[in-house]
Amino acid sequence: LNAAPERAPRQRVRFLPSPAPEGGGAVELVAASVPVLADHPLVRGPRFRKLKIGAGHRLDVKASGVFVLGIGHGNKLLSDLYNCHLTKVYTVGGLFGKATDDFSDTGNLIEKTTFDHITREKLERILAVIQGTNQKALLMYSNIDMKTQEAYELAVKGLIRPMGKSPPIITAIRCLQFALPEFQLEIHCLHETQQYLRKVVHEIGLELKSSAVCTQVRRTRDGVFTVDDALPRTQWNLQSIQEAIRNCQLKVETELEKTLA
Amino acid sequence: RGFCAPAGPPSTRQLREADEAAPVFQYAGKAARRKDRVFVWGFSYSGALGIPSFVKPDAGWKKPRRIQPTPYRLETEDKISSAACGYGFTLLASNTRDITKVWGMGLNKDSQLGFQRSRRDQTKAYDYVLEPSPIPLPLQKPQQTRVLQVSCGRAHSLVLTDSEGVFTMGNNSYGQCGRKVVEDEIYSGSHLIHQLKEFDSRVVQVVCGQDHSLFRTKKGSVYACGWGADGQTGLGHYNITSVPTKLHGDIAGVNIIQVSSYGDCCLAVSDEGDVFGWGNSEYLQLASVTETTQVNVPRHLPFKIGKVKEAACGGTGNIVLTEEGNVFVWGYGILGKGPNLTETAEPEMIPPSLFGWSDFSPDTRVAHVRCGLSQFAALTNRGELFVWGKNLRGCLGTGRMEDQYFPWRVTVPGEVLDVACGVDHMVSMVRSF
Repeated sequence: LNAAPERAPRQRVRFLPSPAPEGGGAVELVAASVPVLADHPLVRGPRFRKLKIGAGHRLDVKASGVFVLGIGHGNKLLSDLYNCHLTKVYTVGGLFGKATDDFSDTGNLIEKTTFDHITREKLERILAVIQGTNQKALLMYSNIDMKTQEAYELAVKGLIRPMGKSPPIITAIRCLQFALPEFQLEIHCLHETQQYLRKVVHEIGLELKSSAVCTQVRRTRDGVFTVDDALPRTQWNLQSIQEAIRNCQLKVETELEKTLA
Repeated sequence: RGFCAPAGPPSTRQLREADEAAPVFQYAGKAARRKDRVFVWGFSYSGALGIPSFVKPDAGWKKPRRIQPTPYRLETEDKISSAACGYGFTLLASNTRDITKVWGMGLNKDSQLGFQRSRRDQTKAYDYVLEPSPIPLPLQKPQQTRVLQVSCGRAHSLVLTDSEGVFTMGNNSYGQCGRKVVEDEIYSGSHLIHQLKEFDSRVVQVVCGQDHSLFRTKKGSVYACGWGADGQTGLGHYNITSVPTKLHGDIAGVNIIQVSSYGDCCLAVSDEGDVFGWGNSEYLQLASVTETTQVNVPRHLPFKIGKVKEAACGGTGNIVLTEEGNVFVWGYGILGKGPNLTETAEPEMIPPSLFGWSDFSPDTRVAHVRCGLSQFAALTNRGELFVWGKNLRGCLGTGRMEDQYFPWRVTVPGEVLDVACGVDHMVSMVRSF
């Protein structure tokens, strides 16, 4: 960043003495616009000595995916985005047959169970129940009086969302792949932690009268930022970062206007 | 010294060996079957929920539970195939060939649950039945006949069998049991169960209104008997009828596939998807065809909402389900479109997004609709139950006591197959996961 061309030094109008055109010792004041010495790069030093970087929603050590960062003035946008309470999308992979103490496949084994009675249909039924109970939680934590007409209208459009603190809520869940003993789910959620998602996988296993551990948690979307906007490790350089910020600027602005208006 | 090494973190090989040596538990085998269960909720003090500890607690310090606001499991030995809720009592029926096929609980002051012999005095009967008690039906072939359906009204009940006609019991002061009205008859503690057999073909559905009964036969015709002051018998007059008589009017010659009634208004659906109505219209239920408040002849209701699959009639509001899965309501009361819509004569659609339809699950649709006196219930094809309406004594099952102005999901631990709505309680038949 410091190697980039810097902005031009400020100019100031100063009255400088210069020898008079007549000659012979008389000094005249001539107005000239000269660069201010305080702006000289050797006086000032490098432009950026440290950068303020803020992080968006937390991501576990064992999880992967989209991680939103704010740089400098963008940190103010981060808190606004947090207040928008947008949903995040995760791809969660699970494995039937084992139960561990921290719900992931690297923990201490607690129990092993059979799982050949599980079919995709049973899994989809459990997912429908989870979605239904979370739908109710969505309505309850949104702090809207159920008896008003506007509550009805928001419920029809599906726009009722908790705009304050609330326990984790799953707004949508569906099964992407199912190949015993592995399965993969797509989960849209609010106010969650990755450990909560692993606990959900464990509870799905319990509901199906077996046990399950979570093998993979990957965030594919965080509000308006998707995997396409995110930069992989090979692209962690200045050019790509600047380009990415420029691309996302419009999206972030429209989303903030829409929600906080 | 040097004989034992201190235990460090387990190496990969030790972990793998421990993993393989762990015992495998089996909780459900490949052929694990899903069980059928019954859940009840609502006002329990009349005994209608069938759990005696709610009315008479087992320990002295416990208080009786007047209202059960969330679904509670009712343990039954047999698989219940049909249930009906009346005004303070419930009937459960099973499709078996055993001798006991029907159980009843709740109010029995008019012998609507048959004669329940009291254990203290062999000649007297119970006025309140707190537990599902078998109802003895006078069947000719008790080990072959099956009970298809039961239905309950205000103080009478009907039991439909597959080969022996319809059995009626309870109050008959308006002829709703299908037999001649006897002056000053005492209904409590009565052994009389009347059997009705003479219809043009086999009866396939029985429906009880508040004080009248409707019978639908296989040929598609409808018979009615009982109180007619609001025209709910549809026979062209406002008197009582004590013998089931065939209905004419706009449904003459039409093949009716479903009838419904709970209060004083009746609806019928034909095989072509048309809706016919008759009875009380004080709450604009039939105002789309007539201004009169009582209609005593079935009239066709010209609604342009598509082919109707199922209809349900409540006390003041009606609900229909079309072939595409859309739900329409009209009438008076809490109709399900927010607190602003209290009455309408033309059907209004309830948006499917309130029933769980979304871009994520586009094939969620409503499969059945049911009606209580001032509540509505809708079952989706995913086995979810949505209720709305007046929350009379906790009958909605939401866990709260407030009225519900738009469809709200009831948390039931299982897939809901059918639900029966009453005045202040509901019974649902659920299959476990």
